Amino acid sequence: MLSIIAAAALPILVVTLALGGIAKLATVGREASPGALARLGPAVLMPERFAKPAMYACSLAEFALAAGLLVVDHPAARWLPVVFFAVATYVLWDLRRRRPDVGCGCFGDVSDTPVGLRSIGRAAALTAMAVVVGLEEVTGPPAVTTETAPWIGGGVALLLACSPEVDAIVSRLRHRPPCEQRPMPPGRALSRLRASAEWRAHAGSLLMDEPSDMWRELCWRFFVFPARGETEVVFAVHLGGRRPVVRAVVVGADGHVITADERDTASLRESTPVSA
Amino acid sequence: MQYGAGERRRKLAAAVLGRDPSPAPRAPEEVEPYDVVSGHLLDVSPHLIVVETEDGGQRRLVIAPWATAWRGGAVAPADLPVGARVIVRALRSGTVAERIWADITRITGVIREVRGRRDLTIELDCGPHRRERSIVVPYRSSGRIRVRHPKLEPGYLFDSIGLLDQGTSFAHLPATSQPPYRAAAVPPPQVPYGGSEAGISGTAVWADFMDFTGSAAGVTGGVAYPMIEREDTGCGDAGVSCAGLPYLALGSLLHVRNVCDGRADTLPIVACGCLAGRFCDRCLECGTSPRGRIIELAASSYVALGGDLTKGCFNARVGLG
Repeated sequence: MLSIIAAAALPILVVTLALGGIAKLATVGREASPGALARLGPAVLMPERFAKPAMYACSLAEFALAAGLLVVDHPAARWLPVVFFAVATYVLWDLRRRRPDVGCGCFGDVSDTPVGLRSIGRAAALTAMAVVVGLEEVTGPPAVTTETAPWIGGGVALLLACSPEVDAIVSRLRHRPPCEQRPMPPGRALSRLRASAEWRAHAGSLLMDEPSDMWRELCWRFFVFPARGETEVVFAVHLGGRRPVVRAVVVGADGHVITADERDTASLRESTPVSA
Repeated sequence: MQYGAGERRRKLAAAVLGRDPSPAPRAPEEVEPYDVVSGHLLDVSPHLIVVETEDGGQRRLVIAPWATAWRGGAVAPADLPVGARVIVRALRSGTVAERIWADITRITGVIREVRGRRDLTIELDCGPHRRERSIVVPYRSSGRIRVRHPKLEPGYLFDSIGLLDQGTSFAHLPATSQPPYRAAAVPPPQVPYGGSEAGISGTAVWADFMDFTGSAAGVTGGVAYPMIEREDTGCGDAGVSCAGLPYLALGSLLHVRNVCDGRADTLPIVACGCLAGRFCDRCLECGTSPRGRIIELAASSYVALGGDLTKGCFNARVGLG
């Protein structure tokens, strides 16, 4: 019985350790927002300048432990994960008391929800699994059989139930930040513009290939191109959605819209001014 | 960006999107802003104050019997020194002075260096658009400053209100509690899960727009806004905000309402609010604001909207004008 549980626990431990290591490395490497590390688990307990090395060390240790569980047939390789997860449980418990605002950082910046009983319970469950693996002395590539499969499923379900990250991912998928708050480089909007029908309609009259002015307001990015006949073409590109809305208008030097009819009769209008 | 380019941007955006370029009218519950006169003090007596405005004109205002003045502390209006830079909140279409601030300056920046034992000299980095400043915290106000700014160390933010005396800035009052994080480690905004609000609420602060250099130099009115795309403006530090703000551009019109007394005005964005975005504080003037500074107002715009310069902030609600 215990040997079946151990055989099921081994792949869970290896995958969890590897995922944790990858996620931490990605978080440190990306550094999406400055100071993101200052709000994540073990890095909080370190002085600021050691935060990055600490995250690196933690993820490398996780890789080493995962590799050890897979290839090294020695009691040390099986009991070191027990120590790791036990220490992690204690650290999370301590973190919850000392810094109730920070996330556990177990899976990098995905784990930014403040440490709760679920995160601590997960670390404790992983400790228990590691203990079972240590007691039963299982090593090597895991074999999924009909006996172990239900235990693997149960273990994964237990870990998922204890993962606040799942809630965060679901709510992130369901409520993306609105498009006026999403950063969007101008280059991407420009390439969207160049692929649009409005661009093709006006491209012939443009004097320059690069916009003379561009700015962004909420979900719209505006491009101004100088055009022939002392006019300007203003494009507005919507930044949301896959097939963006593009609008274009030709304006005169005074900023007034010039319609298609006016453009055609521009030369005529100069010679015969309209009078009421 | 040249002056007037903002207006052109508004015109072009209105043309391409087919909307009305003029600002939205004031809602019925909103109050007209105060009249503000700012400039240099030419003459003052117990009942009359003469101010030379920025454009060279002279303004004579009657001093109301209840009027108060500030110059490093409450003083009688008649005691203000001639030549001081004054900002006057005026009633009756700008003829009666009600509140006068003289030589007031806002000192906001990232601490670079702290020197001295009794009087502290602090070198501040005030963002890419303002010059670096060297300010003095005199011994008599260092207690007040330090209790709200416990970390006078390089890398941390500093925000205080002070007095400009013969070219030197003396910090007098803390304008906020110092954020506990370093200036480079601004917490991200809370993503508005479950629907966003109709308007943006937060803290409106004021800043010395006199300090602006480069493209925004010489601007005396308007707002500085933190959430501006970096590529558009060359503000390397923009696009950071603690308060979940939408992206806007230099030239966009903002409708700013003081939640306290309902005064509202439509003001253009004239600069990047690189420093304002780094503060994650709340304003405690009549009620507590949501977290994060949304705009920095020019001192005269701030006073016109009913703010008190010595308080440093008011609760504001902002919409696109």
